[in-house]
Amino acid sequence: MIQLKNIERTYKSGAGQTWVLRRVNLEIQPGEFITVMGPSGAGKSSLLNVLAFLDDQWTGEYWFREQAAYTMKRKERAELAKKNIGMVFQSYHLLDDLTVMENIDLPLSYKDIPRSERQSLVADTLDRFRIVAKKDLYPSQLSGGQQQLVGVARGVIHKPALLLADEPTGNLHSEQAKEIMELFRELNQQGTTIVQVTHSEANAAYGTRTIQMRDGWVVGDTANPNLSPANLTATEPRDAAVNR
Amino acid sequence: MNGLLQDFRYAVRQLRKSPGFAAVAIITLALGIGANTAIFSLLDQALLRSLPVKDVDRLVILNYSGSNTGRLQSRADGHFYFSYPMYRDLHDRNSVFSGMIATDFTQVGVQWHNQPDLVGAELVSGNYFDVLGLQPAAGRLFVTADDVVADANPVVVLSFSYWQRRFGSDPGILNQSVLVNGHPFTVVGVAPPGFHSVVMGDTPDVFVPMMMKAEVIPGSMDLEDRRSSWLNIVGKLKPGLSREQAEAGVGPLWSAIRSDELKEIKGGSENFRDRFVNKSQLFVLDGARGFSPLRSDVQMPLLIVMGMVGLVALMACANVGSLLLVRGAGRIREMSVRYALGAKQKRVIQQLLVEGLLLGLAGGLFGMLLAPRVSSVLITMIWGGGTGDLPFSAKPDLRIMLFNCGLALLASLLFSLAPALQFWRPDLAPALKQQGMTARSGPLRFRRISVAVQIGLSLVLLVGAGLFVRTLHNLRSVNAGFATDHLLTFGVDPRMAGYEPDRTFALYQRMFETLRGLPGVRAVAATNDPELANDNETGNVTISGYADKPDENMQVEQPNVSVDYFSTMQMPLLAGRVFTDQDSAGSQKVAIVNESFARHYFGDPQQALGHFVANGGGKGVKPDIVIVGVVKDAKHVSLREPVTRTVFFPYLQSPELHAMTFYVRTWQQPESAESTIRRAMQTLDANLVLDTFRTMDEQIDNNLTAERVIALLASGFGVLAALMAAVGLYGVLAYSTTQRTSEIGIRMALGATRGSVVRMVMFEVLWLAGISIAIALPVSLLLMSAVRSQLYGISSSDPLTLGLTIVVVTLVAIASAMLPARRASRVEPMKALRYE
Ligand SMILES: Nc1ncnc2c1ncn2[C@@H]1O[C@H](COP(=O)(O)OP(=O)(O)OP(=O)(O)O)[C@@H](O)[C@H]1O
Ligand SMILES: [Mg+2]
Repeated sequence: MIQLKNIERTYKSGAGQTWVLRRVNLEIQPGEFITVMGPSGAGKSSLLNVLAFLDDQWTGEYWFREQAAYTMKRKERAELAKKNIGMVFQSYHLLDDLTVMENIDLPLSYKDIPRSERQSLVADTLDRFRIVAKKDLYPSQLSGGQQQLVGVARGVIHKPALLLADEPTGNLHSEQAKEIMELFRELNQQGTTIVQVTHSEANAAYGTRTIQMRDGWVVGDTANPNLSPANLTATEPRDAAVNR
Repeated sequence: MNGLLQDFRYAVRQLRKSPGFAAVAIITLALGIGANTAIFSLLDQALLRSLPVKDVDRLVILNYSGSNTGRLQSRADGHFYFSYPMYRDLHDRNSVFSGMIATDFTQVGVQWHNQPDLVGAELVSGNYFDVLGLQPAAGRLFVTADDVVADANPVVVLSFSYWQRRFGSDPGILNQSVLVNGHPFTVVGVAPPGFHSVVMGDTPDVFVPMMMKAEVIPGSMDLEDRRSSWLNIVGKLKPGLSREQAEAGVGPLWSAIRSDELKEIKGGSENFRDRFVNKSQLFVLDGARGFSPLRSDVQMPLLIVMGMVGLVALMACANVGSLLLVRGAGRIREMSVRYALGAKQKRVIQQLLVEGLLLGLAGGLFGMLLAPRVSSVLITMIWGGGTGDLPFSAKPDLRIMLFNCGLALLASLLFSLAPALQFWRPDLAPALKQQGMTARSGPLRFRRISVAVQIGLSLVLLVGAGLFVRTLHNLRSVNAGFATDHLLTFGVDPRMAGYEPDRTFALYQRMFETLRGLPGVRAVAATNDPELANDNETGNVTISGYADKPDENMQVEQPNVSVDYFSTMQMPLLAGRVFTDQDSAGSQKVAIVNESFARHYFGDPQQALGHFVANGGGKGVKPDIVIVGVVKDAKHVSLREPVTRTVFFPYLQSPELHAMTFYVRTWQQPESAESTIRRAMQTLDANLVLDTFRTMDEQIDNNLTAERVIALLASGFGVLAALMAAVGLYGVLAYSTTQRTSEIGIRMALGATRGSVVRMVMFEVLWLAGISIAIALPVSLLLMSAVRSQLYGISSSDPLTLGLTIVVVTLVAIASAMLPARRASRVEPMKALRYE
């Protein structure tokens, strides 16, 4: 479904450059449930941003369903993302001034979908996530877990092929986290490809594959045992001064 | 105290740190205070201030209703004037007034040390200064004995400013002789400083006893003519009497006076004669502020200007208020930190107040500097071009100034407390967390309201500007009925150069010949009733074979014009012929009427020819002047006034000729001919005083002063208002889009395109603009219908003007939204989400 070849991302820092993603090669198959792990600052969020087309300052090749996304114009990429990708955020990012229902409807409002279809989609989703009773409440009137439930509902309402979630349970306690993870598993079983970032081993257990990152490098991948930190160090000595 | 000084220093530092904010706030305050003070000071002088005389609240003005059949002079203000016999009767036979004075304003030539000078003169009854309770600044003022026998007491009192200006405040001028219109008059005294006239807005330089009218207004023999109305009467009530009581008490006397007048009117129907006495009533009006034709002239314009200033001041307030509030919102964190560090509430508030005080004081200071300048600009705009004293001073009224400063200070202090109010809320924690989410919606809501108010106000002001500008344009493009270009005009009164009536005709003949011979002159004409000079002088006519209906208004304009008048002015002839040199003193008397006259009395221009008319009304009058021509209508009083019925007489056949207004049609720019003409007239007679030299276009402009001032100010204020609204709107949008960066980021991450973000911001703008327009539109319709009388040729709800204004306001709103919208669309979702 997705192929990343030699993706690199740098930030200008003072006189030099900070490397955030280094020669990332990654293949994601449809139906996978990938967990990205690694210490803080390893580049997990950065990787997700690249996958989500929120970032376009990287170099390398990005193939999305056999399409060369890296040659596309900004607008085409945005179109691609809009159609195929859903997002869930650590701090939910619900809009305070909109009700639960309106928040869920938001991704649809940016698409050319007939009103009636939109309404039925929203109703279905509310139903599916069992939040019909909450549809007219505002985010501030919900608990953290409920808010994230809405966040996930919003992320999948337009039936994306790929769901990206950056620490979706970071602000939740374990009971709520478990609920969200069950939900992810369910979605994955229904065919959604998922890439999540997490620090929790328990959450990682829900996934089908785990990727380890450190200092911008992909240093471990359960689908690719050959990739080991030892190997890596041998071929590409880390340069602390540049990295940090 | 130590703390206060420290706060003060800190406040100065704070303001210097954000000079843009400080400058905008101070300028806005200064403009508000300055403009307001200037306008209210003028308004106070023009409309509210009392005359500087004794027992001012007992002064009353007399006026009356009922038809007037004699010779009537009026300043086009609807006020009725009295004849001298009427005044004498009222004065001698009433029992309700402790004093009653008569007054009239004119111009005279004053010659001193062989230098002629055209000055304003007030003809006053001998008791004038006495009744007003005025004391002389030098010498003496008039006494009743100065004003008993006609032409017997050639004495003159100088106005204080004329004494200063012309005679260097030299007391040596007392008992010296000056020439008034060529007659020797003795200067007996000087009027007190600060007193101009009992007629508000008149600024006479000399006062002359009424009995000297024949010298002051040469050729006027109507002192004893009961039917020639020309003077104003101001009375002083007996102590304890109300105006109503006085009105009732003087009623029978007034009926008797009207009966006396009726005796001199021959003819008229029974109905007319009955109504003449019984339907006429004498009114006793409040006179504490002086009789003022000027007041009614300037009242509406000044009120309109005041309204505009008020609206702008309101906008300024809203602007400074929202500035301070937003600044306050930005400082909530600072306040919270101070508070958390143990600062007492009192200190924090004191700090804020000191800053507000500083702003208010600076604004007030600049406002005070600005006020007199605004005043003098307004005064010269409205009364510029006049000679002598201006009736108003540019010195702002101290009370009004202090009031405005106080108001500005209060407003800035109040708004400066905003951050204190906000951080006073118990939940300090979110404020300390920098985001201060809870704090932002308050000022934003206020800013939205403030911007909506500003958009609305600028709509009102712009609608006003549009209507007034179009009024001015309409008036400018009114067809005067004669060609106004390449036309130079000036007045001349030979009597002021000592000419007796019998020599006047010869002088005019020589003037015509000289002027015609000048290079660049196409044609020359003269009239005794100038065109578009904003005054009218009408008289009754009798028309043979025309049965006037009872009470029908037979008043018509009766100018005496030179032979070439119609060809020079380019008034087209519709029927018959124009005057010729053969229409002279000895031959058949002829007249030319205008189209309105012909149509009204005869139905058709052709029909009017051959009919006979006469000056004056009544049974004894024999119409012996034959109508030989009809000319097309032309505007006479002003471009605004409708055409009046007019009978032109050839000046050669008029019994007597005095002041004439000359019209010189030139080939080149008319201005260039002035010096040539002056030199030629100088050679003709060095004593001739030529006054009010101007082109017809200048004359029209002069006529349109009020309209010009209003149009100019309205446009200025309109643009200012639109600018302020634009700045305010920009501020709100810039603020709200920064506040919404993360929201916009989320939306973009969820699929919003850049276009849809721009649309979102624009929608906010149009929504705001739409609501404020919807509210402001009916308001401006209401306000405009209140000033309907000042409009010309356009309805107060003119759809084109309204539509255009709405478009302009919307465009301004969209323009000021452009930058914030662009910035919003440039939000990088990745970054926005990072700094959640
Ligand atoms: N806008 C930026 N400018 C400069 N450096 C950046 C920027 N955004 C991210 N970085 C750097 O990129 C590196 C990776 O950041 P990233 O957010 O991807 O880490 P992460 O693995 O998601 O960490 P965490 O677990 O704390 O969320 C960090 O060193 C960070 O400082
Ligand atoms: Mg991260």
